Amino acid sequence: MNSTAFDALLWTALLVGFAALPIFGGDYLVGIGLAAAMWLALTQSWSVLSSLTGYVSLGHTVFYGLGSYVVVVTWQQTPLAIALLGAGAASAAFALLVGLPVMRVRGPYFVILTFGLAELVKYSVLALEAEMGVSSRLLFGAPDIRVIYGLMVALAVAATALRILVDVLPFGHGLRSLRENEEAAETVGVPVARYKLFAFVLSAIVPGMVGGVMAMRSTFFEPIQAFDPTISVNIILMAVIGGGESARGPLLGVLFLVILSEWLWAKAPQAYMIILGLLLIVFVLKFPRGLAGWLADWQRARR
Amino acid sequence: MSLLSLNQVNKRFGGLRALTDISLDVEEGEILGLMGANGAGKTTLFSVICGHARPSSGEIRLGGESIVGLRPDQVCRRGIARTFQIVKPFGQMTVMENLLTAAMFGPAAIRRRDRALGHCREVLDELGMGDAASQPAHSLTLAMQKKLEVARAVATGCRILMLDEVMAGLTPTEVNEMLAIIRRLRLTRRLTILIVEHVMKALMELSSRVVVLHHGELIAKGTPSEIAADENVLEVYFGRAAP
Repeated sequence: MNSTAFDALLWTALLVGFAALPIFGGDYLVGIGLAAAMWLALTQSWSVLSSLTGYVSLGHTVFYGLGSYVVVVTWQQTPLAIALLGAGAASAAFALLVGLPVMRVRGPYFVILTFGLAELVKYSVLALEAEMGVSSRLLFGAPDIRVIYGLMVALAVAATALRILVDVLPFGHGLRSLRENEEAAETVGVPVARYKLFAFVLSAIVPGMVGGVMAMRSTFFEPIQAFDPTISVNIILMAVIGGGESARGPLLGVLFLVILSEWLWAKAPQAYMIILGLLLIVFVLKFPRGLAGWLADWQRARR
Repeated sequence: MSLLSLNQVNKRFGGLRALTDISLDVEEGEILGLMGANGAGKTTLFSVICGHARPSSGEIRLGGESIVGLRPDQVCRRGIARTFQIVKPFGQMTVMENLLTAAMFGPAAIRRRDRALGHCREVLDELGMGDAASQPAHSLTLAMQKKLEVARAVATGCRILMLDEVMAGLTPTEVNEMLAIIRRLRLTRRLTILIVEHVMKALMELSSRVVVLHHGELIAKGTPSEIAADENVLEVYFGRAAP
């Protein structure tokens, strides 16, 4: 089986699985499906920026948090669809605003800068809420979990489609080139600064909407939780374990970690973080191309 | 009208005058050699033309239009491509993918992948690199990486090719091969070529005209034989003759 046919089968099976889950599964399984869809949406979006350009963002929680905030603040006044689109638009606008200065620094500086930026926004929102006399906001009349699940699956599909699309477009080839060498890429005609900014904005939209949907799931908003840095860390963990070469990577990383987490929480909650830490080390050292890279090698060897 | 013309171009880095009043015309189809010791300003001149550095003053025109202030990618799309003295391959990509970037984003602007592949295949064959197409660029030898620099620049579909010491570090056999490649490319691709080179034999054989830079100033222009006899040049290179 060639790799295109394999991909088609993989994505179809996944879609069928996501569609069948709420019909045949109970609330517990739908909850796991929701988590998987959420992480898939976040990690695929992140990979459009970080896997393709090499600019590793440790601050994607900022988009998640902003999206949550937008939905919570507009909840009583605006229809759900508008609120969610607003969450995506706000994230994109924020990325556009900070993108140019932020994307000027590379490597560890970019990592730290994105992390710091997310913290800055978190404490700014906290201060703003305190100024307005709000300590946490409740969200009444949130939709049923199955509706939330459906929305999240749609976002996961959108983020995956985005990654696949970028991969085949010249835009994606340009991003990969600038990851290797920005000066050389610029010299052969790649508009490096604009492409980096565009990738940053693209990678922000879906996470903003994911944050909005998750605000409806938790039915309350509290900045410390909505801008939780572990969200950013988890995204990177999944992307590293899955691999960054194609849209398969985030998928494999997310499925592997979501299933493993459920199993570990049930069997060995004390060892949970230890095992995740060890896994990350093993993958970084031994399988830098992740599960997807390993799968690609295996497919090549069988042909 | 000259294809590329520089008029009174200056470049200062703080107090350092890297280029002083450089005026220079490059005619269509010629191979113009750029000579000068280390630090004479050759690479700065390349950077200023290609948009990596903005001239402090002066005018640079390509086909009559000013290109001062354009970004490097814009200069490239107008038809100027360069190589780097210290090679800058897209290391994790294959040789073919390196060229594809140039074909898609350079002045050739071939957006369809199959056509871009065909275009790059031709360039690779012309440089005798066809066999290396699917190799990752970082695994190539230095000689091959130098060739890749040239191939990638040519694959943009440029009119002007600027070569920055593409022969440095090559063996005599490899130098001869590179000379043949450059001559052939000029004809098949109708290129105008600017070349910086320390390998004197190569520069003298290849160039139709040579200009000499010294401490950021242009001290001589002429045919290779005129330059070889020029007193200014001899003095700069070998010192003044004893009285």
